[in-house]
Formats: sequence, structure tokens, C-alpha cells
Amino acid sequence: MKSKTNRFGIFYLSLFFVILYLPILSVVLYSFNASPSTAKWTGFTLDWYRQLFRDRVIGEAFAISIQVAILTAIFSAVLGTAAAMVSLMVTTKMKQTIQRMMLLPLLVPEVALGVSLLIFFNALKLPFGHLTLVLSHSLFCVPYVYIMVLLRLQEIDRSIIESARDLGATKWQAFYTIILPLIMPSIVTSSLLAIAMSLDDVVISTYMSGPTSTTLPVHIFSMMRVGVTPKVNALCTLILVGTFFIIGLNQYISKISKNRGLSK
Amino acid sequence: MKGNKILIALLIVIAVGALIYVNINRSEGQEAINLMTWGGDFIPREIIDQFTEETGIKVNYKEVTSNEDMQSLLEANPDQYDLAVVTDYMVDILRQNGLLENLDKSKLPNIKNINPVYQGNYYDENNEYSIPYAISTSFLLVNPEAVAALGAQPITSYKDLWQSELKNSIVLIDWSVEIIGLVLKSLGYEYNETDPVKVSEAKERLFALKDNIVRFETNTPEDSLVNGEAVVGFMYSNQAVKGQAANNKLQPVFPEEGYPIYIDCWIMSKEAPNKDNAYQFLNFIMQPEIAAKIADITKFTTPNKAAEPYLPEDYRNNPMLNLPDEVAANTSFYIGVENVLEEYEHIYSEFKLR
Amino acid sequence: MKTLKRNVLAIPFLIWFGLLVGIPLVYVVVLSFMSRDHLGNVVFRFTLENYQKVFDPIYLRVFANSFLLALLTGFITLLIGYPVAYITSQLEPKKRNLAIALFMLPFWISSLLRTYGWVILLGNTGLINNVLLALKIIDKPIPMMYKFSTTLIGTVYMLIPFMIVAIYNSVDKLDRSLLEASYDLGASKVKTFFKIVLPLTIPGIAGGFTLVFTPALGLYFISDLLGGGQTIFLGNLINTLVNRGRNRPLAAAFSVGMILLVTLVISIYGRITKDKGEGLFQ
Repeated sequence: MKSKTNRFGIFYLSLFFVILYLPILSVVLYSFNASPSTAKWTGFTLDWYRQLFRDRVIGEAFAISIQVAILTAIFSAVLGTAAAMVSLMVTTKMKQTIQRMMLLPLLVPEVALGVSLLIFFNALKLPFGHLTLVLSHSLFCVPYVYIMVLLRLQEIDRSIIESARDLGATKWQAFYTIILPLIMPSIVTSSLLAIAMSLDDVVISTYMSGPTSTTLPVHIFSMMRVGVTPKVNALCTLILVGTFFIIGLNQYISKISKNRGLSK
Repeated sequence: MKGNKILIALLIVIAVGALIYVNINRSEGQEAINLMTWGGDFIPREIIDQFTEETGIKVNYKEVTSNEDMQSLLEANPDQYDLAVVTDYMVDILRQNGLLENLDKSKLPNIKNINPVYQGNYYDENNEYSIPYAISTSFLLVNPEAVAALGAQPITSYKDLWQSELKNSIVLIDWSVEIIGLVLKSLGYEYNETDPVKVSEAKERLFALKDNIVRFETNTPEDSLVNGEAVVGFMYSNQAVKGQAANNKLQPVFPEEGYPIYIDCWIMSKEAPNKDNAYQFLNFIMQPEIAAKIADITKFTTPNKAAEPYLPEDYRNNPMLNLPDEVAANTSFYIGVENVLEEYEHIYSEFKLR
Repeated sequence: MKTLKRNVLAIPFLIWFGLLVGIPLVYVVVLSFMSRDHLGNVVFRFTLENYQKVFDPIYLRVFANSFLLALLTGFITLLIGYPVAYITSQLEPKKRNLAIALFMLPFWISSLLRTYGWVILLGNTGLINNVLLALKIIDKPIPMMYKFSTTLIGTVYMLIPFMIVAIYNSVDKLDRSLLEASYDLGASKVKTFFKIVLPLTIPGIAGGFTLVFTPALGLYFISDLLGGGQTIFLGNLINTLVNRGRNRPLAAAFSVGMILLVTLVISIYGRITKDKGEGLFQ
């Protein structure tokens, strides 16, 4: 496919990315700052990285956060997609009801959600930990998946599905071979957003984690009283490098496999 | 639509199954205590590791961001937490709500190390429920050179903050009770005044301060003095210590009108699951050497009198950390915040919207 | 009978949301009519006092302040994000995926740190001022921190991915043959955009706006860090009331006010975009 993007478009996109990454780069830069505060640059050091590797708490918190984020993303993707599918099958009125309900978690203040879920899950005798974290995080992640997937589902030409059915495809086949590929980009992008939101939640996580599970954002925010050290910057730098590495690897592999495909 | 339903149901089952699996997989059985308080090095990890090494008791440290979070968590699950560190006023609330264990002093021989000056306060008159852990005060941190450069008089009291030369040069903790408290003190009144005449006088005075404030900041006010955007700051002692470490031109000023004190205390849940281990832990951290180490790492004032010989020189010579008893006498608590908060918060909102 | 059968499918979702969101919501509403004792504990005694306090002129200005911030955040993210989403959707698939990955990535980093990132950039001794000073473009640091606009930069930065993803999803699925047809008929790119692309992506814009406007009303630490606490927003007020004032009933009343405000805004632009049951939030 030929790219239709003109030079101005590329320029705009590049500018956007530069501004997007400027604050991130300053975070990276200050992970090498000798002073523990962001007020002043006092010299280069690798000390924070050394401290980071010695710190098992931050590592544990990060591990818990990642597990919760991925589980939340999977759970929300399934639930959100299912809800979007269902809302196209039910009556218009019911669809509107579902839509309104989906918006509610974004409206209720986080503290209220946190406190009332704490009381509620407590009454259900659920153990506080991964389960409660994922359940509560998916509350505010499902709506995003739902909205993104529904936006796309609504535009699918029903005649394609009908003709597939006419050709003898089962409903399951029609879903798997036609609908799913069409909505997949939405599911993927909204799952990435869900990971981002889960990785960033402080208020609800404070209430939803048990005595043994502190998540990374809670760890970072709870440090504010005694001061957030550049150790956290160092960790974020490593996360960033790691993710870039995975993206790069992905590009590289697809390039190689494409080349192989051509040479055959 | 049958296929879809089955698929959806199946995926939900898988997702839920995975969750439950992860949860069950977390095994517990070792001797442990569960404590909660602010994170970072509020209770230094090396101290916790040392405790675990000596006793074999694992410490689960739940990090939270505020006293009120701790209250909510403790009220919801009093049987999940053994210990917490909360600020003075919260001890009072938790105690009155019946959540606290009356501490058995016979299991805490090291309590003799605690300075009586910091005991028997309003929140626990008879020392039944709490053990002081970390003390902080708030006062002014000043850059005298920069103040002089602006042509302002040297700052010795709160009153000096109103000098017009200090326009856009003051950083303050962002908390209505504290800032209105500062204004009340500058007028010669006490904290948490309820007399409408005095409060409205303070309100006028507060509004006159607005132009001088460059920033309200609770967590890192010292940064504003370090990077030079402010020349005076009203902040907590541990922040002032950090500010001075970053720029030795910064000097503390203990306002003659008096200033506030906060005592963060250990408390035990009435329904604590591991009381014996918790007593062991409390006793452990009250050892003089350990208390001194904690004080040096956290930069809070230690209430542990016996720890003094073990404190490093620079800590002992630092008036911000080593409070002489007569200085401690000039401090006061914010008592009865709940009586004034709504009114103060309203005044503060109006002040900020100006 | 048939409609009933169709709606059976929706029951699991209604239960899920009814339980996990409905209960908190009811809790907030009930709480807003309750009183508190001298310790800040909630007491089950009905009162309208909390709402009287919410309708105080000073607090109404706090509402207005937050509303302005959220509205501006919505419009700015739209203005910046729309072209980004549109251009991205025009890229060839592989580059497109890379671009999406690249603009998602920053948001995997703690929002607190990202906000500190702006502090490092914009401060008086920050990177931008230092670079400008070194290049002798300015001789005195430009004060950029602690303004309303600084807070706005922070909220836009924090929420723009939601706008981009929502718009991208609706731009991306545009039927390309429509655009080709428009070009074939001699319409310019600009005309095609305004006559065809824009109207078709209204649902995406509305969705994105909701996803940005709503959280923007409740954010608090951005205005603390970047705005220097110089003004007061709903998020700060609710947070202070809960976390320092132990006045949950009053905080709940403010929350109910906030929820009503969002509902109002959504219903207004639901009318404007003339959704007839097909769009998202009417």
C-alpha cells in the first residue's frame, strides 16, 4: 500500500513525538543526577541504579504491578469486547442502559470506589491481593475497551457477515474469521491503555491491596512523605529501555521473516 | 448466537480461573507481622531486614499515603494488621473508635528509653496505646542572602513574611489548618481559633499574604529554596534538613511566636493476629542503636532519649533535628482540627481563588 | 417475548456493573445526605446541610474552575490529537503499529514521574530555561511554572492518549473507497476532510471527549505539582476533605455535584452531535 501521508503530516507527527518524549527524557536524565532532588543538577552518578538493584521492595512492587496490569488487560479485553458484542445484539434500550452503566466508573470519584469496594469485598470475604486488584482495576478499564470496540463494531458491514452465513459459516466461524480480525486493532490498543491505567492507579490500589501486596504506584506515592528518590527514575528508565527493546526486537523479527518470505 | 455465548462464557471462566490460581498460589505460613505506614524509608528496610535476620519473623510492610487511608484499612480489616505508625491526632481518633490495643508494657522493657517529654500527650494521656516513633516540627527555612538581596528585613518571625519586598518569594505547605494557624500565631492567637472575630481578623491578614506566595507545596517545598524560586519557606523539619543539605546557605528560623509539632506513633490493632511478634518488633526498634540509625536515615527527631549517644555528630549538632527540651516546649499540636476545618477550608478556598 | 430473550445476554454485565459500580455509587449518594460526629465518623442522620455547603458561591467558583480546566483539556487534546490520529491512520500498517506503540509507551510510566518530568523541563532552573540561557536567547529565566496554563499542559499531557486512541479507532475504520470517490469527483483534500472524514468521526470525537473531560474534572496532583497549588480544583477539594478533613459526607456531596455536571455535559453534546440511538452517550 502506498503511503498517502505528506511531508507536513510526518513533520507534525515527529514534533508530537518529540514533545511527548521530552518529559520522559528528563525523567531518564535525572536518574543520573547526583542530588536526590529534582531541584538541581549536581553531577552524574550511577548510584541510583546500584541502589535500585539492591532494593527488593521496589522489584517486588513492580512484579506485582506487572502481573496485575496484564491480568487486568486480558480480563478487561474479554469482558469489554463481550459487552460490546452483546450490546449490538440486545434491544436499543438495553444497549443504552449498558452504555450509561459503562460510563459510571469514570464518574464515581476513585476514593469513593476504593472505600466502598473495600467494604463490599470485605463482606464477600474475598482475600485482598491480586484478585481484588484485578477486579477493581478492570472496573475502570472495561469501559475503555468497550467504547473502543463498540466504535469499530458499529461500522462493520452486516452484509459481510450475512453473506458468510449464507455460504454456510457457523456463527462462531463468522465471529472468528470476520468480526474478530476487524475489531482486533481496537482490542489491542485499548488493552495497551488498560495496562497503562492499571500500572498508574494509586487510590483504588491502596484500598484493594492486602498487607503483602503493595503495587508500584502506591509504593511511589507513599514515598512522598520521606521523599521520592531518583531510584524510581532509574526503574522507569529500565522499564522504558526494556519496552523499547521488545518493540525493536519485534520490528527486527518481522523484517527478517519478511525477507525470508521474499527470498523463497 | 450460541457459539458466541459459549465463547464468551469460556473466556470469562478462564480469566477468573487464572485469577483465583494466582491468589491461591501465594502461600503463607512463616511467622510474620503485618505493619502499615508511609513508604520509602519511613521505616528503613535495613532495620526491618536486621529484625528478620535476628528473629526469623517476616515483616509485611504495607505502604499507604495518608493517616486516613490507614484508618479506613484498619476499620475494614482490624484482624489483618498488627502495627501501624500514625500521626498524633489519628491515635486519638483510633483510640476513641476502640480500634487500639492497650499495650502490655511488661513485654516492652525498652520503653524506658523513650523521652517522657514526648509522652502523655493529649491523644494518649496515660501512655496506654501509643509509642512515639518520629517527631517533626514545622518552621521557616530562610535564605538570608537572598532575603537581603530583595531589600527585605531579616526574618525572625512569622510577621516578617508580610513584607512587600518578598513578593512571589514564599513557599508554604499546602494545608489550610497549618497556614491559617501560621496567620493566627502571627497575630498572637492560638491554633484552631474558633472565635469569629479573631478568625475574620486572620482571614484579612491571610488575604494580604497572597501576593508573596510563589507556590503551595506539601511534599518537596525545600526544592523551591534550593532552586532559588523562593527565599523563605514554611515546611516540615525533615524537608528543611534536606533543603539545608542541598544548599548550606539556607538557615532555619524558629519563629518566636511558636510553631507546630507532630508525633508519629506506633499503635497496635486490638485484633492484631500476631501480637507477640509485634511486641518483639516494637521492643527491637526501641533499642538505642537501632533508634539512632532510624533517626539518621529518616531525618526525623527521635523520641528515644537513650539513642542520643549513638547519633552521628552532625545530627546532634543540628537544631532542626536535636530539639532542646525548651524548644520543644514552644511547640504545640493542632488540637480539634475537626471543629474548625470546614470554616478554614472555606476561607482557604476563597484565599486561593483570589 | 423475543426482546426479553435478546436482553438475557446483557444480564451478566448488568449484574457485574450493578454490583461493582452501582453499590459504590449508591454509597456516595447516601453518604452525601449523612452527618458526621466530632471524630469525623459518618453518622446515619439525614441532612441536607452538605448540599447547602456545596452551593456556596466560593465552592461554585471551584466548580467553574474545574469545568473550565476540563473543557479546555478536552478541546486542546482534540486539536492536537486529531491530526495525530488521522496521520497515523494514513501510515502504512507496519509504521502505523510502531507509531501506536510509541505513543502508548510513555503512559506506562508513573504519572507522578511524568509530571515531575514537566517540572524538570519548565522550572526556573529547568532544562528549557537553562538551554535558552546558554544560547543567550534570554538573559533571565522565564517563569513558566505555577500558572493555570502549566496545570493545563499537565492535564493535556496526561489525558491525550485517550483522545488519540478514540479518534484513531474511528478514523481507521473509515471506508477508504469513500475518500477515493471524493477525490475522483474533484474534491480537494481539505474539502474531503471537512465534508466526509470529520462528520464520520464525530462518534470518535464524542467518545474521546468523554474519556478526557471526565477524568480531567477529578485530577488533583497535577495542579499541586505544576500549578503550585495557586488555585483550587474539585479534585483537590474532594481529596482534602476526605484525606485531611475526614469529612466524607461533604466530599460525597461534591462528588454527586461532579457526577451531575458530567452527565449534563454529556447529554448536551449528545444533543449537539444529534445521535439517534446509534452514537455513544446520549
